[in-house]
Amino acid sequence: MKFLRNLLLPFAFAGFMALGATSANAACKVHLGDFDWDSANVHTAIASFILEKGYGCEVRVTKGSTTPIMAALFDQQIDIITEVWRDNLVQLIEDNLSKGTIIELGVNTPSSTQGFYVDKPTADKYNLKHVDDMKSAKIAKLFADPEAPGKGRMTSCISGWTCYTINLVKHKVYGLDEFYTNFDPGSGGALDAAIAGAFKKKKPVFSYYWTPTGLMGKVDLVKLEEPKYDQACWDEMTKVVEDIKANGPEVYKPTCACEYVNMSLTKAASTTFANKAENKPILDFIKNYTLPTAVVNKSLAFYMDESDGDMVETAKNFLSNNSMWEKWIPGDVATKVKASL
Amino acid sequence: MQKYIEYFKPVISLFIFIGFIIKKYKNYFKFIIYSVIFIWFIIIGYRSARPRYKPEHFTDIFNDFSWLVNWPKWLDFPLMQPLNSGFDWLIVNYGMFFEGINNFLLGLYTTMKNFLVGLPWPLVIALVIFITYFASGRKTSTTILVAFCTFFLGFLSPRYWDKCIMTVCIVLIGMLLCIVIGIPVGIAMARNQKVRNALLPILDLMQTIPSFCYLIPGILLFGLGAVPAIIAIFVYAVPPLIRLTDLGIRLVDKEVVEASEAFGASKKQTLWGVQIPLALPNIMQGINQCTMMSLAMVVIASMIGTRGIGDEVLLGLQQLNVGMATEAGIAIVLLAIIFDRITQSYGERLQERTQKKKEIEEHA
Repeated sequence: MKFLRNLLLPFAFAGFMALGATSANAACKVHLGDFDWDSANVHTAIASFILEKGYGCEVRVTKGSTTPIMAALFDQQIDIITEVWRDNLVQLIEDNLSKGTIIELGVNTPSSTQGFYVDKPTADKYNLKHVDDMKSAKIAKLFADPEAPGKGRMTSCISGWTCYTINLVKHKVYGLDEFYTNFDPGSGGALDAAIAGAFKKKKPVFSYYWTPTGLMGKVDLVKLEEPKYDQACWDEMTKVVEDIKANGPEVYKPTCACEYVNMSLTKAASTTFANKAENKPILDFIKNYTLPTAVVNKSLAFYMDESDGDMVETAKNFLSNNSMWEKWIPGDVATKVKASL
Repeated sequence: MQKYIEYFKPVISLFIFIGFIIKKYKNYFKFIIYSVIFIWFIIIGYRSARPRYKPEHFTDIFNDFSWLVNWPKWLDFPLMQPLNSGFDWLIVNYGMFFEGINNFLLGLYTTMKNFLVGLPWPLVIALVIFITYFASGRKTSTTILVAFCTFFLGFLSPRYWDKCIMTVCIVLIGMLLCIVIGIPVGIAMARNQKVRNALLPILDLMQTIPSFCYLIPGILLFGLGAVPAIIAIFVYAVPPLIRLTDLGIRLVDKEVVEASEAFGASKKQTLWGVQIPLALPNIMQGINQCTMMSLAMVVIASMIGTRGIGDEVLLGLQQLNVGMATEAGIAIVLLAIIFDRITQSYGERLQERTQKKKEIEEHA
């Protein structure tokens, strides 16, 4: 018994000390949500560096896949997310905006592209430019899906992401579903690895993908043309997509389909966090935060090739080589950030 | 001649001297070798660090001790780059080899899956009942339990049935691989101390390294789908089988082995006639463990695009659908019960058989 007590006491003591140490003298506390793709990681790293060094905040970052992190934001557990793929989550975000659980903080990256991509060598060889060019058994054979004989494989979104269902509908509308499987790679890392692996082995690859991403700078993918974006068409498709998400693929109805709009990525904060008066300066900073796609791509390239996989280093590199961030924050905060670089 | 000996004398005496020192200070000598390797590593790390992380001249390290506070960026052993380039080299040069493995395993998997999916479901249930009945030594209670579990797989949700079959196929092929490779390795370990010393750290590594470390390279080598999952199952599930085979064979009574040798059995005869039969209950336990771990891995493998009951759990998680994830989770538990009961009861039957023999021997 005594032995046990002797064993436990130091632990309890250490626990108290640790608690005391973390809760003491931090001007503010911010809980950032981060996702499992690299552009989101860059934004989170830059924002948390500025919050930590400039505002003296205690920053906590939680990283996970889309749904759990978004759910935590709606649940007020996470304060700020710096990159939200709004158009992919449109229903969810609008529901929560009307419920008043989150507020939006403006645009993060003004233009991002997503769509169907084919590797350049194959696209050149077989003259693949439009999704309709893909509709042939001969072409499908190039991208053969080993688990579904006779069909090609298009590596698609992860089944929890809305774009998986969008791609499903697009496949049916474009008539691709006869030739290709809408293959769920399971996770973001697996999707990247599938594309990178195909390039390493010099094999044809047909995949859904998006920019800005670090991988895009390393591999040569060609975007296939789709019917031009049209708001009415997109809205009609979204209805079918939401229906399928709720009731399963059996409820598919023939609909219209068009390309993904070049969408802007946004930022969001939980209402509880936003309503606190002392968080006002932080919100102002996040509202001002915006980066052009080219800069994000550059940071991602630095992250992949030079930082040895160190996001903090990437954030520092961005902050030391650019001055656009000084406009986001008051002068004294900027000085503090500069001092810590 | 004499001259040459004169000439070599100092050299020989030096060798003798070094030999003497090595013998007397054997432990110190080991330490010296280790520390040389250690310093060599540090020098490699320092040399390969990026110039902007390094002080201007390396003597600055001894003047400015600020690097003692936070781990300095130049003190970084460069493992990532060589691993990456080694991996690329593997893909480029031995891609065909992995392709071959891929085609073989995939062919096996697709044939098996298409066959089982093509069978009418009552026939599959009947097949499972048949296997359980005879594997368990005609135990009715086990058979009924397994039959119920099998029925409930499809009963939970009709779309689970085909997915469960896919999962079962992957697990079975993974286990086949484990058994074909694991049991011989386990036997080799039990018979040779050196093999065991060499393999134990590797087994530890296989058991502790996070599964994503080999899942993602698995995609690069084999592509998305069932094959990287089978490989992952092998890496994750083979260590307990090897360990238990090794243990089982070493636990066989020395007297029994000696007796068989005294009767003139060769090493091979002792192994096949005495050691393996007596170790079978332990080996069965290993196979049982292997199955359970395979099932655990096949769920994780759904994150790399492996089709099966695991993606239902993943989908439930992605869509925050607690009911869906739990329902699919229950299906996995049922699968585990089916596998466990069949292998366990077969193991018990084997044990009973050996025990009965012992009793007969005692009575006699």
